[in-house]
Amino acid sequence: MIDFGAVSLEWGTMLVQLIVFLILLLIVKKVAAGPIVAIMEKRRQHIENEITTAERNRQESEALLAEQRRLLDEARLETKGIIERATKQANEESSRIIQEAQETAARLKEQASAELAREVEKAKAELRNQMAGLSVMLASKIIEKELDEAAQKATVDKFLAQVGDRL
Amino acid sequence: MHQSLRFQWNGLVFDISAIIMMIVTSLVVVLLLVALTRNLTAGVPKGKQNLVEWFADFVQGIAGGFMKPKVAAGFITLGLTLLLYIFVGNQLGLVLNINTSHHEVSESLMDKLTTATSPEAAEAKRQVIEEELHNPEGHGVVVSWWKSPTATPSVTFALAIAVLLYSHYLGIRKSFGGWAKHTFLNPIHLLEEIVIKPLTLPLRLFGNIFAGEVLIAFLLGVGIFGTIPLLVWLGYSVFVGTIQTYIFVTLTMVYISQQINDQH
Repeated sequence: MIDFGAVSLEWGTMLVQLIVFLILLLIVKKVAAGPIVAIMEKRRQHIENEITTAERNRQESEALLAEQRRLLDEARLETKGIIERATKQANEESSRIIQEAQETAARLKEQASAELAREVEKAKAELRNQMAGLSVMLASKIIEKELDEAAQKATVDKFLAQVGDRL
Repeated sequence: MHQSLRFQWNGLVFDISAIIMMIVTSLVVVLLLVALTRNLTAGVPKGKQNLVEWFADFVQGIAGGFMKPKVAAGFITLGLTLLLYIFVGNQLGLVLNINTSHHEVSESLMDKLTTATSPEAAEAKRQVIEEELHNPEGHGVVVSWWKSPTATPSVTFALAIAVLLYSHYLGIRKSFGGWAKHTFLNPIHLLEEIVIKPLTLPLRLFGNIFAGEVLIAFLLGVGIFGTIPLLVWLGYSVFVGTIQTYIFVTLTMVYISQQINDQH
């Protein structure tokens, strides 16, 4: 074909090279290129899936976090309301109790003073009763002992002294 | 000059050492891939799987630079095969060189050495061999058995033409009218498609690797003073082999993209 001594082109060698190269192509495809491309594609898909899943998980957790925050805020608000209400109730309760106590004390005081007045009245009545009896007794004693001015005077004094002691 | 053994079959000439190296290179590529792709996992890749996935990513990155990622994924097998075959092929000639020296050439060996595509070329070869045999200072006839397959022009031309034909097939499959208009209406495009691409793509690779091997052979012949330049040149050749692999794969993807992207 073409021949320049050391540099020559020969159909036979070219043909063999072509055949060898085609066989090598088939083997490379079977042994390496096919499996490698398949595996790289599989990995690409796997990574894509993982990224999608991760993205979805992130969105989900963000939504959950927002939900939790909202719930927490609600709970906080509710707690605040409960405490306020409880404080208010307690304040009302205590003022009611104090008022009741004051009322009870006032009533008891009133009752006590009424009782006292009644007792005094009763004592006075009894005294008056006794005074009448004693006066009759005194008169009878005076009549019994005739009328002795000096003795009478002494008797009255004595009696008055007795009454004063009693009163 | 290193000689190759050739044989003729049905009018076709076959280069024996090039064929040996094609098969060795292919075997190395296959064994490498088999070793790297054992226990592949879709989970977190480790060690060797990272490496092989990096190859695939690298090829897809090259192709993705010229076409849509979805389309580029369809050329991973082609790109990966070219990448590994050319890379391994380029480096194989650097790690090892097996040559045999012959001071006497039997008639059957002479036949294999002088097999060529034309009688004139065969005669020219015979003269070169006679000279080498009768040169008292030389090493006799040196036959190379182990060299980079990409240092053989038939190999790089076969790869490049296969790739170019494939790209034209893709263009025709996409739209015959578009392909024909693009290829034949503009003389510059026609020249590019039938002369420039089929020559530059294989010759660039062949030239770089062949020149590297020629210089290595020369430096090996220099002896002790050639050691340091040889080491430097070997290091540089590793770099050249890598870059040429990258260029070949990239240009392949460019040519394919020119055919399958919308014509401009």
